[in-house]
Amino acid sequence: MENRLKELIESLIFVSSEPLSTERIKIVLEEFSREEIEQALQKLVANYSSDEKGIEITRSAGSYLFSTKPEFDPWIRQLLRIERKNKLSSAALETLSAIAYHQPVTLAEISALRGVDSTHTLKVLLQKKLIKIVGRKKSPGRPLIYRTTDKFLIYFGLNSIKELPTEEEISKILEEEK
Amino acid sequence: MDTSSGYQVRLEAFEGPLDLLLFLIRKKKIDIHDIPIATITREYLEYLNHKERINLDREAEFLLMASLLIYIKSQMLLPRESELTEEGDPRQMLVDRLLDYQKIKAASLLLREKEDVEHMKWQRTFRPSISTTQEDDLIEVSLFDLAESFFALMKQKKRENIQIIKGKEYSLEEKMKEILAILNENSFLDFLDYFKEQETLEEAIVSFFSLLELIRVRTVIAIQESLFRSIKVWLRKASHSKGN
Repeated sequence: MENRLKELIESLIFVSSEPLSTERIKIVLEEFSREEIEQALQKLVANYSSDEKGIEITRSAGSYLFSTKPEFDPWIRQLLRIERKNKLSSAALETLSAIAYHQPVTLAEISALRGVDSTHTLKVLLQKKLIKIVGRKKSPGRPLIYRTTDKFLIYFGLNSIKELPTEEEISKILEEEK
Repeated sequence: MDTSSGYQVRLEAFEGPLDLLLFLIRKKKIDIHDIPIATITREYLEYLNHKERINLDREAEFLLMASLLIYIKSQMLLPRESELTEEGDPRQMLVDRLLDYQKIKAASLLLREKEDVEHMKWQRTFRPSISTTQEDDLIEVSLFDLAESFFALMKQKKRENIQIIKGKEYSLEEKMKEILAILNENSFLDFLDYFKEQETLEEAIVSFFSLLELIRVRTVIAIQESLFRSIKVWLRKASHSKGN
């Protein structure tokens, strides 16, 4: 199987209903080294990025999964009879952004950042599992503290929290708005 | 009335007072580090005055900001003893908040772009029914099915025997709003999942009544995809398509 490691991994990703992490692959393929697996994964992702494929392997939150290429979206929606996917509300998105950049963070801090009471939005985000409670702050009232989840990263196609829009990208947007 | 500009944006269009302030600053081409407080306060209050109906829930935050603006202005008018030591611009706190908020807002626009791209990719796990007749084997759930599921769940909850300190009262209206908000964001609500997340028995009961009320007035519908599967709550089509 040594020479077919790439195809082997491909089949593992294919049958996974959840994004498949490198760690999980490593556990299953214990006879291979981490480097070999990483290399095969890289090749595999590159293979699928070719124009001759309608699907690709995307990496988000350090895990791999198959998805269709964005350009085919209109036809897929026609097949599935779906007009559009539900987007997050702008309040939810703004709250997520506040949490992502200031985490770990409390409800009071989020509300202060936005200038708006965020109790309800926070509840919705928790229900969607885009954020999670990670403990309590050691301050009066011991308020709950929140962080974004892996599902948050996957939702926005990010690999890690470091891939959030950077300071430069943000100032560019602000320049354009002026 | 605002005569200085041709168009007026409704207050509802803003996420909050900071959003409105940023909008006014940009509109007036004001330097964020040197805000003419009197001008901006006047503009700001004009927006609040334009409201026909007052929605106290939302308005309170806008009014709080108005009072902060007026407070800052008063601080700037006061003669200060320590003028020489330059103890800081009273506007600084507001500027810092505006800059922080501006970043969050801009980042959320970038996240929206990412969301758009991700939404155009489809995974194998996304499997709605491809069949043309969508209502094939959907079963509309009766009140008794709902009640049965609910009581089973509550028994389970009781066994977990969690001690929670009561701190909040729940109103039917609030819960109905919450359920509708969830339905507006997700296409459906999973009955079991939703009630598992309720913190107290009291909250669960209020939620359950809210759900029953929504079903009674035919705003939502409870459906079981097939026997023994979980119950899902959907918005009814008629009330859903508000635009058309």
